[in-house]
Amino acid sequence: MEKSTKYCLSFQLILVAFFTYGQSLNCNVFRLEGDSLKYKACEKATQTLKSFYQFDQRFHDGLSAAIKIAPNFDYPYKEQSVAYLKSGDFVSWKKLIDKSVELNPKGNLGYRGWCRYQFFRDYEGAIQDIEALEKIYPTGYLGYSVNGDYELRIAKALCYSAIGQKEKALSIIENQLAKKDHNVGLYDYYQLGVTYFELNKYDKALENFEKQSKVYDFAENIYFRSKVSKIRNKDYLDLKKAALIAYDDGKTMLEGYTHHFNKVYRKQITEL
Amino acid sequence: MFLSQNAKWNWIGNISFDEKIDRKDFVLCNENQIYQYFNDSKGLQYKGEKLAVEEEFQKIYKSENVKKENGWVRIRFVVNCNGESDRFRILTANYDYEPIEFDKNITSQLLNITKSLTGWIPKSVNGKKADYYQYLIFKIKDGKIDEILP
Repeated sequence: MEKSTKYCLSFQLILVAFFTYGQSLNCNVFRLEGDSLKYKACEKATQTLKSFYQFDQRFHDGLSAAIKIAPNFDYPYKEQSVAYLKSGDFVSWKKLIDKSVELNPKGNLGYRGWCRYQFFRDYEGAIQDIEALEKIYPTGYLGYSVNGDYELRIAKALCYSAIGQKEKALSIIENQLAKKDHNVGLYDYYQLGVTYFELNKYDKALENFEKQSKVYDFAENIYFRSKVSKIRNKDYLDLKKAALIAYDDGKTMLEGYTHHFNKVYRKQITEL
Repeated sequence: MFLSQNAKWNWIGNISFDEKIDRKDFVLCNENQIYQYFNDSKGLQYKGEKLAVEEEFQKIYKSENVKKENGWVRIRFVVNCNGESDRFRILTANYDYEPIEFDKNITSQLLNITKSLTGWIPKSVNGKKADYYQYLIFKIKDGKIDEILP
């Protein structure tokens, strides 16, 4: 029973993550709970989201009106924060997102943690948020990054890797991948392979780059296979050529807002 | 969908022309429609990719004579339809996301190098070149550039 409740809550977390990019909340939930203020605020907020672009002042005015109706409703604060996040205004973003986390930590800690990592490379802050979420759901499912690329424990592992704690990063990714209910992400094996590579564990690195190639093979993954071959004094030029072809075909780590962790650029491949 | 910002309304983060600091010869294709760099889902577009931007800062930025400060510096600006940039604005914060005043030796170097970047790729909408907002965030650690975003 407890397990199913956790999964149910986790599902809600995923929904909250999706809402961030403009999908509507089901306001009837609040009506059914008898919270007419949140229901009214929710209606105002969702109507605003449907009507205006995130950067439009009218979008922000509409959400401010929703906040006025129900100041303890986290959703309008979170939605207001998005334009600041996307324009790199870390000061305004943090004030708003903190408010939404304060009001609804279960629903917003994972989101804030991911954004701290993705937009500001605030690795320590992201770890703190994801670990706080894990305390709420110690064995449960935490949900995914907003862009859907990483399960949040794996996102946390990337942060540990970035601050030099490679062994810890390896352990987190390996544990997560060993879980039967883990859906393998688009870059999971690649990130694990790169972490092994950085620790000079080339057999394990190659094993994971090969696993990655079965999920989705892309320029960076081929580049690292080529690097392992070069280190082992084996022919690496064919792989280098394949990496460049993949890169030019657009099979690379693309990101519309920032850049991926362990992204490799074309010039770096040519210089191999 | 490629969303633009029409000047008819106020927009979050708009940078209006300031005659005291902005170039008068910096011309926009359409002052009323300035896009965000991510509106085309292609992210930062620079000749030689973001690596070329990082290499410029690595080459020119000097950390020897600056205070050992920590935090973020954001420089936001407009790239016009010809790939030229201007209307630079600076925002700074410590690692607690609180506004702070950074050592001028840090911010002035970052600003000057940002102004000197000439590889911005113009973005286009329906085949027409467009103006857009771009930013660079510098994560500063002990006065050195630790990372550059986005």
